[in-house]
Amino acid sequence: MTGQMNTSNSNIYLPRETEITAIRQETSDIKTFVLKFKDAAYGDAFTYRPGQFVEFSVFGEGEATFCISNSPTRKTIECSAKKMGMVTQAMHELNVGDTVGLRGPYGNGFPVEDLKGKHLLFVSGGIGLAPLRSLINYCLDNRDDYLDITIVNGARTSKDLVYRDEYKVWEKAPGTKVHLTVDCREEDWVCMVGVVPKALEEIKPTCNGSVAIVCGPPIMIRFTIPVLEKMGFCPESIITTLEMKMKCGLGKCGRCNIGNHYICKDGPVFNYAKLKELHYEL
Amino acid sequence: MKKTVKKEALIALIENLMKDHEVVSPVETAGKGVFYRKIDKAKDVYLGPAFAVEPVKKFFLHPSEWICGCNKEEGTASPCPVPADDKKRVIFGVRPCEARGLVLLDKIFAPDDPAGYQDTSYIDNRSRSVIVGLACSVPDRTCFCVSLDGSPVETRGMDAVLFDMGDNFIVEILTEKGKSILGSLPGTIDAGSEKALEAAKEKTKKLVVKTVKAPDSLDASFKSDYWKKVSLSCLSCGVCTYLCPTCHCFDLVEEERKKLRCYDGCAFPDFTLETSGENPRPTKKERYRQRVFHKFDYFKKNFGENLCVGCGRCIRFCPVKIDISEVAAGAPIK
Ligand SMILES: Cc1cc2nc3c(=O)[nH]c(=O)nc-3n(C[C@H](O)[C@H](O)[C@H](O)COP(=O)(O)OP(=O)(O)OC[C@H]3O[C@@H](n4cnc5c(N)ncnc54)[C@H](O)[C@@H]3O)c2cc1C
Ligand code: SF4
Ligand code: SF4
Ligand code: FES
Repeated sequence: MTGQMNTSNSNIYLPRETEITAIRQETSDIKTFVLKFKDAAYGDAFTYRPGQFVEFSVFGEGEATFCISNSPTRKTIECSAKKMGMVTQAMHELNVGDTVGLRGPYGNGFPVEDLKGKHLLFVSGGIGLAPLRSLINYCLDNRDDYLDITIVNGARTSKDLVYRDEYKVWEKAPGTKVHLTVDCREEDWVCMVGVVPKALEEIKPTCNGSVAIVCGPPIMIRFTIPVLEKMGFCPESIITTLEMKMKCGLGKCGRCNIGNHYICKDGPVFNYAKLKELHYEL
Repeated sequence: MKKTVKKEALIALIENLMKDHEVVSPVETAGKGVFYRKIDKAKDVYLGPAFAVEPVKKFFLHPSEWICGCNKEEGTASPCPVPADDKKRVIFGVRPCEARGLVLLDKIFAPDDPAGYQDTSYIDNRSRSVIVGLACSVPDRTCFCVSLDGSPVETRGMDAVLFDMGDNFIVEILTEKGKSILGSLPGTIDAGSEKALEAAKEKTKKLVVKTVKAPDSLDASFKSDYWKKVSLSCLSCGVCTYLCPTCHCFDLVEEERKKLRCYDGCAFPDFTLETSGENPRPTKKERYRQRVFHKFDYFKKNFGENLCVGCGRCIRFCPVKIDISEVAAGAPIK
């Protein structure tokens, strides 16, 4: 599997020392960390797939799970973290130059090969854009492999939109459209208003030869999938990346399974047909 | 290779082994039952019929284990490995179901798949240990190994095995590792003893009276209210998971200077509770169903075997007497 640099004599729980080289404040409670392995040779050999994730250590505080939000086609490893509990709060206190730990990459990632020759519809809410950003930039860096790209991204308010500097770049890319929506009307807001599923109904993206890639808070996913199905997307062509509490990332600690699949190992990316088979309840 | 050995000769051998080995064995503790302990006196070794409360698992997956260190100083920090304990270890008195439990745990912590993640701490503990099993002679009424493709006298996962024949043990050496520890014991076996052993084995197998007909797949019962009904009395205490020779779920916990791996279990409400408050297994129904499905469905889908060896511990020690064998067998799959 891509990027697993797992030699039989190394401690699989041991994080690699990693330096924070830059921090970007995305919103009031989300920061993006730009990371560089201290061991340059390890860093050069480190590869991953869009949609894969890492375990991020703040030493003395613990580990938390983050997708790598940058594309492997770009130079830096980035993770964007929303301030939630212990580890993420400690992360928000970190400074450029601090050392943290990373282990990974883990999980299957998006099926970038299978998506070739398809129209891609990206649907995200809030920090859910993080894993999709990795895939969006990957597709844009391999533009000829993919057909039309439509991005529907929502947030509670315009202040909660992440990766704002990138929307313009995406819009300018060939065959790429970006739709932004916020939950409620705001002054000076010129894009769409309404929750993501509602915005989708207005946009009416084509389902022919399309794959929808969805990530966001559970409630958004719950209401988005029926809308996509109504538009004609079959369960096989709806892809999502799941979130469950994780610890090991290795399929060993036993907490992140749905059915006989561990999200950390066999996921986090699944298509909706597979999720139905596993009795996954939205 | 088998030989008949006097009990005193075995104790003398253990006494000698302790000079350069760590020796672990069941020990009787006053009023509390039998527990595996690291021993320093050979006469403490207990090889009688009573079962250890905790399974031997704890010598391979410790209840709380230091998995790596980290130094958190002046804003800089770095992870550091923990020096491995490498003294040779001999574990006496391991029961067939527990040894088989180790073979099942190997699939997770020492996977055959070369791309799989090898847990070096587990593997180090495995490779430095020699397992000298003890065949059961008096199965408990909660034991049901025989229905799960096991047997009270089997030897999977052992390096050598002892059969209690009254005044003597019959020792059977199964691997090179077993030979390195017990090969020096004097003795041979005569045809009469061989015959007596076979007869004793057959007799013991018949003493496992509890049977369970766990269905091949529980899939069709997943949505049933059955799971609510059978889990109603569960206290979410987690005893069943801690004492199970095959339960392996853990938590990773960080302290100032070290990361620890600690037992955890699907019975606990916060096992899957996310920071946001979402919990995919919010009630006992989902949690207990997870335990039974993991043992009798999911693991089988992934590895072709049940993740239960029928040791009966979770039945013996459950404070509200939930019986997993009955629960699995009674699942509505039609
Ligand atoms: C595959 C995957 C990718 C993710 N990607 C991102 C991302 O790009 N950006 C982002 O902001 N968040 C992401 N999350 C969610 C993020 O992992 C949690 O918000 C975070 O672990 C909370 O940790 P905490 O220490 O602040 O909270 P605490 O409440 O202190 O949590 C304690 C520990 O529980 C575990 N935990 C709790 N909730 C979750 C959860 N929802 N998912 C996984 N582990 C959890 C972690 O090990 C955490 O350290 C992702 C989760 C998964 C499963
Ligand atoms: S031992 Fe019994 S009460 Fe305790 S968690 Fe297990 S099933 Fe529930
Ligand atoms: S589930 Fe119960 S009977 Fe089966 S191995 Fe575990 S403790 Fe023993
Ligand atoms: S996070 Fe441990 S099994 Fe998936």
